[in-house]
Amino acid sequence: MAALQEKKTCSQRMEEFRHYCWNPDTGQMLGRTLSKWVWISLYYVAFYVVMSGLFALAIYTLMWTIDPYTPDYQDQLKSPGVTLRPDVYGERGLQIFYNVSDNTSWKDLTQTLHTFLSAYSPEAQEENINCSSGQYFIQKEFHAPNHTKFSCKFTADMLQNCSGLTDHNFGFEEGKPCFIIKMNRIVNFLPSNNNTAPRVDCTFLEKDHKDFKPLEVDYYPSNGTFSLHYFPYYGKKAQPHYSNPLVAAKFLNIPKNKEVIIVCKIIAENVSFDNPHDPYEGKVEFKLKIQK
Amino acid sequence: MGKKKSEVYSVEVNGIKDIETTDEGDGKEKYRGLKNHLGYKKEHQKEELKKELDLDDHKLSTKELEDKYGTNIIQGLTSTKAAEILAQDGPNALSPPKETSEIIKFLKQMVGGFSILLWAGAVLCWIAYGIQFSKDKSASLDNVFLGVVLALVVIFTGIFAYYQEAKSTNIIASFSKMIPRQALVIRDGEKREIPAEQLVVGDIVEIKGGDQIPADIRILASHGCKVDNSSLTGESEPQSRSCDFTHENPLETKNIGFYSTTCLEGTATGMVINTGDRTIIGRIASLASGVGNEKTPIAIEIEHFVHIVAGVAVSIGVIFFIIAVSMKYPVLESVIFLIGIIVANVPEGLLAAVTVSLSLTAKRMAKKNCLVKNLEAVETLGSTSIICSDKTGTLTQNRMTVAHLWFDNQIYQADTSEDQNAQIFDQSSATWASLSKIVTLCNRAEFRPGQESVPIMKKIVVGDASETALLKFSEVIMGDVMERRKRNRKVAEIPFNSTNKFQLSIHETEDPDDKRFLLVMKGAPERILEKCSTIMIHGQEQPLDESTAAAFQTAYMELGGLGERVLGFCHLYLPEDEFPDTYPFDVETMNFPTSDLCFVGLLSLIDPPRSTVPDAVTKCRSAGIKVIMVTGDHPITAKAIARSVGIISANSETVEDIAKRLNVPVEQVNKREAKAAVVNGMELKEMSPEQLDEVLINHTEIVFARTSPQQKLIIVEGCQRQIPSIALAYEKAESDIMNRKPRHKKKDRLVNQQLALYSYLHIGILQSLGAFLAYFTVYAEQGFKPARLIFLRSEWEDDNINDLEDSYGQEWTRYQRKYLEWIGYTAFFVAIMVQQIADLIIRKTRRNSIFQQGLFRNKVVWVGIVSQIIIALILSFGFGSIAALNFTTLRVQYWFVAVPYAIVIWLYDELRKLLIRRYPGSWWDKNMYY
Repeated sequence: MAALQEKKTCSQRMEEFRHYCWNPDTGQMLGRTLSKWVWISLYYVAFYVVMSGLFALAIYTLMWTIDPYTPDYQDQLKSPGVTLRPDVYGERGLQIFYNVSDNTSWKDLTQTLHTFLSAYSPEAQEENINCSSGQYFIQKEFHAPNHTKFSCKFTADMLQNCSGLTDHNFGFEEGKPCFIIKMNRIVNFLPSNNNTAPRVDCTFLEKDHKDFKPLEVDYYPSNGTFSLHYFPYYGKKAQPHYSNPLVAAKFLNIPKNKEVIIVCKIIAENVSFDNPHDPYEGKVEFKLKIQK
Repeated sequence: MGKKKSEVYSVEVNGIKDIETTDEGDGKEKYRGLKNHLGYKKEHQKEELKKELDLDDHKLSTKELEDKYGTNIIQGLTSTKAAEILAQDGPNALSPPKETSEIIKFLKQMVGGFSILLWAGAVLCWIAYGIQFSKDKSASLDNVFLGVVLALVVIFTGIFAYYQEAKSTNIIASFSKMIPRQALVIRDGEKREIPAEQLVVGDIVEIKGGDQIPADIRILASHGCKVDNSSLTGESEPQSRSCDFTHENPLETKNIGFYSTTCLEGTATGMVINTGDRTIIGRIASLASGVGNEKTPIAIEIEHFVHIVAGVAVSIGVIFFIIAVSMKYPVLESVIFLIGIIVANVPEGLLAAVTVSLSLTAKRMAKKNCLVKNLEAVETLGSTSIICSDKTGTLTQNRMTVAHLWFDNQIYQADTSEDQNAQIFDQSSATWASLSKIVTLCNRAEFRPGQESVPIMKKIVVGDASETALLKFSEVIMGDVMERRKRNRKVAEIPFNSTNKFQLSIHETEDPDDKRFLLVMKGAPERILEKCSTIMIHGQEQPLDESTAAAFQTAYMELGGLGERVLGFCHLYLPEDEFPDTYPFDVETMNFPTSDLCFVGLLSLIDPPRSTVPDAVTKCRSAGIKVIMVTGDHPITAKAIARSVGIISANSETVEDIAKRLNVPVEQVNKREAKAAVVNGMELKEMSPEQLDEVLINHTEIVFARTSPQQKLIIVEGCQRQIPSIALAYEKAESDIMNRKPRHKKKDRLVNQQLALYSYLHIGILQSLGAFLAYFTVYAEQGFKPARLIFLRSEWEDDNINDLEDSYGQEWTRYQRKYLEWIGYTAFFVAIMVQQIADLIIRKTRRNSIFQQGLFRNKVVWVGIVSQIIIALILSFGFGSIAALNFTTLRVQYWFVAVPYAIVIWLYDELRKLLIRRYPGSWWDKNMYY
């Protein structure tokens, strides 16, 4: 019993630990001799190499089962998200505040738009074809070069007054700013089943702005629609040069020196904007404050 | 059978760890019971106490005693003197045990071992919430809930363990009940009854049959006084007490009576020589309590396990904390991450699982009449390597029983089983008729009335053990003894006494034509034989010549050698002419012949082994448990019982046996040759601890006889010093624990280095690979191929990116990504769950293949597996998936992604076990066997 009740002092423990780290009698370090350490390390190296190989094999098999053109499942992508340009985020969501008379306060905003639209220059869209059908551009076969499918051109000039070509400042200077609304790409997604093009609809958030006059908006392209020939999207591999169609909204009657909340919804049969969890599904909401 | 048998064996585990002293309770407490109750003496005192008592009062004469204690044996102490001594020595009572208060016991359950880690986790969770809350009032309550869950786990398991323990301890009778209350004392020359607590050294006390002896007393005068020392020694055989100094050892001498023992019959006067804690029982109480300060093995193991788990948890937590901080996570988030990892690494369920399985085992043991006082004791029994067992009542039935008969020059065997219903010896001989008559008539024991419906063996008898045995023996064979006695009316009787060493009675015969009186006598065989001139053979009286006397001697020696108590029986029909009907028999003057009797036969008695004991001993042996017998009984009896139950096996010899066989002195025998040893208490007294160790190591079969209670403790400690040279070996575990070697306390850890490494670095890695495979599968099939995921985290977690591109060019909002992430988590969890099934199955054995073990022997495991799957299903599908835990519903195929990995785990473990079996002692065995 005495043997079990032994209480060790601190120095004894330290001594034991030192002995454990290096035992001169048996030549053991940390409980093993050098050669034993080598053996066990070799075993672990071998074990992990085999395990990594196995894992690589599993991943390889996984990739082999996956269709390169279309994802197997789109469980989360039933309805596309919507984003806004320029996109400046505050504490809670998008928030675009600027002062008309202080051009440094909106320079960055217009710069963002220019950068964004640079992907829509004619040069950037060179590989794409001109479309004007306004119908779904269904392509079963890979007729485009390099075994791809065709994508329709969308160039900045289609945004007319909001293209940045005529008005370099996108109306920010005059307090009638342009915002570009983009719908997220989803492979094989059709916005509606009956050839109605999806349309952007921007309003003041009703509950906050009952006393305001309704928001006046100029949409470009006209009616604020995304032409159907940009749909469906066939994925990066089939349409490497695809670019999202855009809609620009120019707000004409934003009250000055006042924070307003504007919501832009996509009106389309297959786009929902009432998911309580996802604020960016089918709509985009943003705060706007224009000072003078 | 003055004792009623209690059906419950209590296993003392608080006190003696490796040693299981089972003992049959008889309503009174044995000294072991003290261990729990008295726990206050300091270590150094123990050493002193362990030495044999240096008491010499038994050697002193009455006069010397009077001088020593300043008393007078006629007048007693004066009241004033007594009061003085009382003030000086304190009351004659055992110091009350320091009871741990219930609150403390409860709190101990609450904070002991694992609980503390869980508490720490809970508190950390709350702190984390506090920090979050101070920053953001709308912080989620997840951490609070986790903390509450952790706390509840601790509290419930604590309450459960406390309840279990409280329930068991309640059953144990209180020690204080065995202390006498009143004492008849002579003070100031007059007798008076005083509370026993007020006795002081030097008091003259009187005791009579039925009293408990109120203090340690030196007997000054005695009239047929017999005491039952079972509360002290465990041996319930009555011992006579007189004023003669008969033995050097105060525990053996007849002129000392001990506190708390019972006076069975007769009266005695004695002088108090020790009171309170200074009495023998008081010393034993404190001595025994000193043994019980050890942690139970399971407690040590769990502590060890907690150390390992805590070490791993904290180090992994810290590593990930550092990683998180260097990945520019905010510090608070990293701290929560740290807590999460620590909490996740702590097996919260273990405590509950251990408690539940221990109490289930305890319940099962209770069904087999084994009461477990302390839950942790259950595991302790599993690592038992030596059992020191008491003889009387534990190995034996605790009642004298007729074992052999000798008549007509032949030894017959009697049935000694518990019910004795198969007496097979030859009962046709006329000698047996005579012998049975003597047995029936020359016996003062009687059945207590009103027990007609009770089986004979269970009837309560008034009388001593031997007479009880004879009474029941004749009742079983011949039926109504009391009726027979009535028909053979008793006219005179001399009861047994130690000077005569015989018992005699004279009866009328039941035959109305036979007017002779029958004188029957029984007693010590040699004394009976002296009184005989003839011997009955086949019903005929023959002269007792040399050859018959020699035959008697042989039989006597043989039965004596079996450790049995032998009684001789003889009779004489008194001639009608000399002893007519009206003859006045006078037992004082003995006006009747007591010589030239006719010797009829011998009966030998023994306390026979319980019929289940030999099997139990064999089982213990085969499990590698050493069984040692410790008894206060005579060595020959002890050895005989040990042989009959297999504690000394049939073919092993003691040193003495070898000496006898080779016909050489004991000193010349090589002690190593003897497998068995019988050690006498007197020898043990002379032994140094080293010598005792030698005995314990060198002999596999050991019997300690004539031991005093102190020596029992010395033996127990000697055993505890031994580190058994056995390791865990081949298993068929799970179903029959008895096939498993006892666990080696120091070497076979519950969790050893190999197990930790194998769990964390082999199976753990495999499991996480399998789980990540499921994780990657989910992402890949939903659009994010593994290549895309790498270095994606900062963008992925950015709330301001709502058009993140996947491998197919699709764009995802933050919420869509988040939900995908939850699917990933759920798939990861399910994959772990699936692999845990494999993990559980491979851990069924350590060495044997699962094919050898069989998958379906343990059905409960499958219940566990199925319920695990059901829980996972509920978490994933139930209640529309539990949002707080971020579980989502999963596509069916994701449940099976990890199955190949589960198979890999199982195959790898089979390979491990195969190589261990193939190459024992190899590098593989040493590193991979846990």
